[in-house]
Amino acid sequence: MKLFKKKKMVATNEFNQTVEGTSLTKEAWKRLRKNKMAVVGMVVVIIYALLAIFADALPLYPYDEAITQHQNLRPSLTRSAGELMLEQRLKNIYFQAWRNGELAVSEEDDARIREWVQESRTNAVWDLVYKYGEEARANGTFEFSRSAQRQIDRMLEDIENDIQITVNHLYAYDADGERYEVANADYQTLLNLYSTLLNVEPSLVETTLRNEVRTSVSNQVRANDETLEGEDLEAAVELEMDALGEEGYQERATQNLVGYIMQLARREAERDVSAQNSEGTITFPYKGSFELSSGMTAEIEASKMHERRYYLGTDYLGRDLLSRIIYGGQISIAIGLVGTIASFVIGILVGSLAGYLGGRVDYYLMRFVDIMYGLPYMLLVIICMAIFGRNILNLFLALALVSWLTIARMVRGQIMSLKNQEYVEAARSMGASTFHIILRHMIPNSLSVIIVYSTIRIPAFIMQESFLSFLGLGVQAPYASWGSLIGDAVSSMTLYPYKLIAPSVVMVVFLFAMNFFGDGLRDAFDPQSKNQL
Amino acid sequence: MTKYIIKRLLGMIPTILIIITLSFFIVRIAPGGPFDGERVLTEAVRRNIEARYHFDEPLVKQYARYMFDVLRGDLGPSYKYKDHDVNYLIGNSLPNSIVLGSMAMAVALVFGISLGITAAVKQNTILDYFPMCLAALGLSVPLFVVAPLLQQIFSMQLHWFPTTGWFMTTGGGGWKTAVLPTIALSFAYYADIARLTRSSMLETLRSDYIRTAKAKGMKNSTIIFKHAMKGAMLPVVSYLGPAFAGILTGSIVVEQVFTIPGLGKFFVQSSFNRDYTLIVGVVIVYSIILVIMNFIVDIVYAQLDPRITYK
Amino acid sequence: MKDFDKEKVILNVEGLQTYFKTDAGILKAVDGVSFVVHEGETVGLVGESGCGKSVTNLSIMRLVPSPPGKTVGGKVIFDGKDILQMSEKELRNIRGNKISMIFQDPMTSLNPFLKISTQMIETIRLHQDVTKKEAREKAVEMLRLVGIPKPEQRIDCYPHQFSGGMRQRVMIAMALSCHAKILIADEPTTALDVTIQAQILELIKALTEKFNTAVILITHDLGVVAGMCDKVCVMYAGRIVESSPTEDLFEHPMHPYTEGLIASVPKLDDGGKEKLFSIEGQPPNVIDLPPCCPFHPRCRKKMGICQAMYPPVYHKDEKHHVACWLYASKEEIDNALKEARDVRK
Repeated sequence: MKLFKKKKMVATNEFNQTVEGTSLTKEAWKRLRKNKMAVVGMVVVIIYALLAIFADALPLYPYDEAITQHQNLRPSLTRSAGELMLEQRLKNIYFQAWRNGELAVSEEDDARIREWVQESRTNAVWDLVYKYGEEARANGTFEFSRSAQRQIDRMLEDIENDIQITVNHLYAYDADGERYEVANADYQTLLNLYSTLLNVEPSLVETTLRNEVRTSVSNQVRANDETLEGEDLEAAVELEMDALGEEGYQERATQNLVGYIMQLARREAERDVSAQNSEGTITFPYKGSFELSSGMTAEIEASKMHERRYYLGTDYLGRDLLSRIIYGGQISIAIGLVGTIASFVIGILVGSLAGYLGGRVDYYLMRFVDIMYGLPYMLLVIICMAIFGRNILNLFLALALVSWLTIARMVRGQIMSLKNQEYVEAARSMGASTFHIILRHMIPNSLSVIIVYSTIRIPAFIMQESFLSFLGLGVQAPYASWGSLIGDAVSSMTLYPYKLIAPSVVMVVFLFAMNFFGDGLRDAFDPQSKNQL
Repeated sequence: MTKYIIKRLLGMIPTILIIITLSFFIVRIAPGGPFDGERVLTEAVRRNIEARYHFDEPLVKQYARYMFDVLRGDLGPSYKYKDHDVNYLIGNSLPNSIVLGSMAMAVALVFGISLGITAAVKQNTILDYFPMCLAALGLSVPLFVVAPLLQQIFSMQLHWFPTTGWFMTTGGGGWKTAVLPTIALSFAYYADIARLTRSSMLETLRSDYIRTAKAKGMKNSTIIFKHAMKGAMLPVVSYLGPAFAGILTGSIVVEQVFTIPGLGKFFVQSSFNRDYTLIVGVVIVYSIILVIMNFIVDIVYAQLDPRITYK
Repeated sequence: MKDFDKEKVILNVEGLQTYFKTDAGILKAVDGVSFVVHEGETVGLVGESGCGKSVTNLSIMRLVPSPPGKTVGGKVIFDGKDILQMSEKELRNIRGNKISMIFQDPMTSLNPFLKISTQMIETIRLHQDVTKKEAREKAVEMLRLVGIPKPEQRIDCYPHQFSGGMRQRVMIAMALSCHAKILIADEPTTALDVTIQAQILELIKALTEKFNTAVILITHDLGVVAGMCDKVCVMYAGRIVESSPTEDLFEHPMHPYTEGLIASVPKLDDGGKEKLFSIEGQPPNVIDLPPCCPFHPRCRKKMGICQAMYPPVYHKDEKHHVACWLYASKEEIDNALKEARDVRK
């Protein structure tokens, strides 16, 4: 069978000229390859997509892990968080010293610093006093005050001793000495384990758990209906609890139990690891199983907290910006894709119906589209987000709901022009149903145009999402998107310009690439339509 | 022509009515009321407030009342800014937004069209590459990056322009306050217009009737400005409708970054506050501006293209 | 028939070469075309689609879109001056004034955004020193001449308000409004209804006779040529393969391609019994064409030499020229074959 063997359609004519048959896609691909910017764009887009897809496999710090001491660290390729923390502290100390007149600065620079303070150019001031301070300390003309020295010592100690521990898996042993994983264990086992660990009666733990579940249910009920009060609320909660049943309760309680036990284990691991650290019997970063003194075994990762390196710095909560940008990219790109696909589906549905059925259906559908066009649609999205709650799902919905209009119009136009073509007549004359004709003949024929248009739309979606996030109406913490990162950074851009620059550059590069790629695709598939936006 | 204009004007009325209706109901069916955030109200106070704002009436009646008020030009009281009604708030901020938007649009049009034409005429020279690179940048750099960057560079570092302020407010600084917001807002639209002008100009210059004009011995400049211009401007004109919509939303960001007392700020705040009347009021005002702009664009288009029949 | 050879030569095209740069290679659309136009003469340029007829005439007017096209060689002597060497200003004075053109598709050749009056008046005022009013009167006069009814009112219409035939009439009126010496008509009737075609051709004939304008008529319709032209040039793959006075060509076609063309014109007098003749095959792709007679794969009289070298031009008499090996002596062919072999080595 030569079914999968590619047929080479090359013929030679009388002049030894080769005549090659090409398909539309092949031809388009050839044209695309010739467009250098489009190829570069495509490569960049692919790199971004791979980064977004495999973000979890990358050696990144968790994007939502906030370390308080690491707030607003500047980006550095070579220096660890601890060094940066110390530098920042020193800058502060030197500045205080300058202010108190303890740090000698040349007259000229003194005036400059004063001017900068007036203009609140904090970074310039810090850098200059730091330079002076380090020099003075090297010369021996400046010594830290007692309190400053204490601060520095404490910080050095912290840098040496603070340990960040993640418990990946936690194992315990049952009565027969059999090992089981805590996260997968059932309610009763965990209940026993927890009470043993706390050294209390299981019934006591159970009572607490029941109360907790009840509280959370009650909160839920109140969130759904804010008017409930007093007895009504009690009754509703009772009802809800009944609906939950014993099984539902155990499910929730198990979740809580796992959380408690893990927390307990982490604290214990922290204590044990610190103890070993001070004895010097452990090296960092440590990864492996660890015997806890309570008898459980934990697979842990332990590292010195302040040895972390933040290549793009950290944000105002001490979260790694690199990680946030990559995970933010995941969300931004996902929104671009999902929004496009959703608008694609709705648009094709409405457009093909209007185009094929024509007549009254067409008239009303298109009037509706016209009116929707008249609405300031970004404002509608803003209203939806503000009113129906700011979560990612609503964001998807809101963007998709308002963005199918153009695609519907395009599909309708395409179908209208295809409708009168001979092959559709032919299909009809052979008795094909309307649905069949739309599905098998018309949509495939207008698909390339629509797909290309959609590619061009992806950057627009990403921009819109970022726009909303910038206004604080998009994705909400702890999630990030490029827009929210930029939005967060704007207010503090004088002090921490890197926070604005890094996500901006990443986003702009992606949009740039996407735009060039989309343009290239359009030119390749449809060389005639150069003047469409 | 007059008939066509009147017909289009009449056609705007149902659109606007539907927009009012839609925004009224979207906002009303939303969970949570405007007074939720405040301290817990006693039943009596709550009743009192509800009666004052007619929340106790059935929805249809509220709708009818609102519609009637809007048609008289009264957008109702604001729920959050208790001292002022919506008309006052919008009336005070709208001119700022409109001036900002029109300036940005004008700048984008002037630079976009002139550079687009130059790029098309001087294709594949530096006069083509530079404006088009700038345009590619304008397409890819979001407004909320452009605005802070401009502010950072030109006001914080170079001190050429003030960081904030608005020349239309008292004590808001001179014309310099308008420069950066206008540039920031116009950048993306410059990009679109320049690209559109260039490509449609190129296409027009390739067309048969331009060849005819050349065969008649016309000068290049005459060909471009007399023969090609009208045809090449058509796509640009039809782009202006959506562009106005974009500028309206874009001004929200610019107003926020440069702290300009425009409508955008009210809009974002009111949607956070669930200030129903203010939201609906702003949406209505924006929609009316948009509908009018689309109408003007249509008329201009019909003026440019003699093939459009005024049916 | 008038003997135009006694008239002054007004256009002399010599070895014109226009190449296009394409992705696949250099496309030699026009490769060494030479012909002469005398005052008042009507020259027909005949050939299949894509043989370079239109590009020849665009090259004469220097209207070939560049890039990708470029006229790389040859001369176009008009009034003793080479058009290809002229400055922009001199060129503008020729275009529309001395040489004017009408194009194939009247639907797209008129500017849809400008009134007919604007387009005509600007042409007249561009080349003649007249007031706007005089120019308008002149335009109305021209429109009346080409048979537009009520020209005083119709002149203020837009092109889309005219039918195809009417638009072509407007094009003719515009082209002749400055009494050009030469009118280049690029398939002026192809896009029109059959009934209109004859009218338009008649109009061109009548008006050019009236103004003593020479015409270069591009067509693929031999019937049109027979009715209109004094002289015919047959083009194939970017070159003129045969040129001759019209009568002589129809009576004694020399090139096998011309024979084929004439034979493929349907005749009404054979009672419809005979099958229509057609030349088999397709014209070649003119990119990277090897040195050979480009017609040889389709030629019924081909010889060995046809595949090796392009034939030189033979002169049957003063006016009838043909490029074909059939008329070469044995000696010439042998020499050429040898030469070709040497080149290959």
